Amino acid sequence: MQDRGRLGVLLVAPALAAVLVLFIYPLGYSLVTAFQAKGGGFTLGNFAKAFEFYSVDIGFTLVIIVVSTLLIALASIALGGYLTLGENPWAVALLRWLYRWPLFIPFVVAAQCMRTFLAKNGLMNNTLVGLGILDVGQTIGFLDWRGIIITFVWKQTPFVALLVAGAMASLDRSTIEAARNLGAGRLRILFEILVPQVMPTLVVGLILSFVTMMSVLSVPLMISGESPTMMTVDMAFRINNYGDYGTANALGFVSYLMTATCAWFYLKRQIR
Amino acid sequence: MKRNLILFALAAAFASAPTVAQQTTLNVVTAGDQNMVDYIKDFLAPRFEKTNPKAVVKAVGTGPGDGGSQKIAEKLQAQKGNAAWDVDVAVIHQKMAGDLVREGLLAPYVRDVSTGRLVTSEASKNALGTNVQGYVIPMFQSQIAIAYNPALVKNPPKNYEELAAWAKANPKKFGYNGIKGGMSGVGFVVGWVYANTPDGDKLMKGPYDANAKASWDGALGKLKEFNRSVVITPGNAGTLDMLNRGEIAMGPVWVDMFYTWMADGKLPPNMRLQLIGPGLPGQPMYYVIPAKAANMEAAKKFVEMATSPAVQAEGIVKKFNWYPGIDAQHVKAQLDEKTWNKLFVDVTPQELASKGKVFPIKPYFDDILESYERKVLN
Repeated sequence: MQDRGRLGVLLVAPALAAVLVLFIYPLGYSLVTAFQAKGGGFTLGNFAKAFEFYSVDIGFTLVIIVVSTLLIALASIALGGYLTLGENPWAVALLRWLYRWPLFIPFVVAAQCMRTFLAKNGLMNNTLVGLGILDVGQTIGFLDWRGIIITFVWKQTPFVALLVAGAMASLDRSTIEAARNLGAGRLRILFEILVPQVMPTLVVGLILSFVTMMSVLSVPLMISGESPTMMTVDMAFRINNYGDYGTANALGFVSYLMTATCAWFYLKRQIR
Repeated sequence: MKRNLILFALAAAFASAPTVAQQTTLNVVTAGDQNMVDYIKDFLAPRFEKTNPKAVVKAVGTGPGDGGSQKIAEKLQAQKGNAAWDVDVAVIHQKMAGDLVREGLLAPYVRDVSTGRLVTSEASKNALGTNVQGYVIPMFQSQIAIAYNPALVKNPPKNYEELAAWAKANPKKFGYNGIKGGMSGVGFVVGWVYANTPDGDKLMKGPYDANAKASWDGALGKLKEFNRSVVITPGNAGTLDMLNRGEIAMGPVWVDMFYTWMADGKLPPNMRLQLIGPGLPGQPMYYVIPAKAANMEAAKKFVEMATSPAVQAEGIVKKFNWYPGIDAQHVKAQLDEKTWNKLFVDVTPQELASKGKVFPIKPYFDDILESYERKVLN
């Protein structure tokens, strides 16, 4: 019996070591250095600096990501809903085939595509002008906060939709049929029957998206040069231009707090 | 059959192993964009391997901007206690060179390299206020200038004052990339501070005075005002992209990127450059050899080849449109008049001499960027 216990420890050791060395150690290290002055010793100076310089950016980051998350929720409910309730088999099949594509495209590539697509004289506006829908003078570029949101929503919706559509497909269809028999429209079925039942899955997908978007540097960097910008850009700037890990880690700490709040909700749901 | 093939491949691999063991692998680590890695991998490495058959050059890129140089510095600092370091030759930005020399991480190799005598420029002696003579040879000199579309700008501004007036009269037609998206924007901001403060010279030469930044408020306030009528572009390439698409008519760019993009057909050939007064900064990148490079002798040979007039002419000037790192007269003799003049059509050598500035000394540099964050962005 004791042997088996030892074997168990042995089996779990490599994975545990990997987690400790590659995750827990750097996490702890960055948390500690957020509170460390340049010569060592405890300080809150890094946080003072982070808030003095970047409080607007912290707020901006939160707004961008919350708005993106809400839009992702709407889009993925719409996608999942159509895949479950859609009546045109061709449209459903086409959509099912198409919607997952962005899943396989890295953020940096998505940002690169959007950068030429959303520009004032970019692909999108040129097409609209070419089709005669817009006039050259009417075009506007989206390479600012809107571009960031568009890219995030485009990239993360398929991920959440994949989870949501899966959950919707596995629901007991008799509830849908019953509602239909009683005369409920499709929209009503979606929001009163389907969404409440897949809520746990939806929330988990959104939380994971939130955390992923918090960490993306390439999208704000490549889409928008404007200010305010997202915290990841500030962290990179602090390190690259000043070699200032303290303030960068303080900003990191703030983003941990944001994601930790999310993680707390996630765990709470998991345990229940 | 398939198995035989695999066995054969294995045998071949083992057979060739001893020759591999005798080779020296020269690790050349470079900061900067992908073009830097390509230059080392595709241009320098084959030449070096041809004359040094036992050497294999491995090019490693650490990323664009000062961050790339920062990574090289961190790598050397981390290896400080080891007997031999795995970086043989590094290519770094000016900003990091001073730190590395002060920390004793670089070898004073220039006296052992014959091409060391061909460099007398200020940049080879002074890196943002630190004496680096003997430790560095400039790979090239790069310069920021204002690119403009002559179809939209008939009389390009000659100095910062005219530029500010132009931008006000033509809202959203001037674009630059702020300070977080690459050095052409940083250089534009630095030039703005030079132009709008009385002691620009002190910022470039020192001595450092921590109170100086208080006197920049006026300049930065004007810059904040200026920013309202311009576009902030995403990155060095973002400015060129927007110029190419006709979204902006003017913006600061690196001269070498400008010519390279034009040669690649990514910019219309009618675009022009203007070096506005009092001046915009430029910077060299340096070849350096770490103090305990594992292959010191080969590293010296490599730098000697890379800074020879022939390679500087063919690679740096002709292929990449950079200004040469070693003194120009040695390189000019290697090139035909036409290639040489191409570099100096819009920006004459006299202009380059009078309006090509250096970046400020490091503490001022940091102060300028932080003041920009504090006063212009907030």
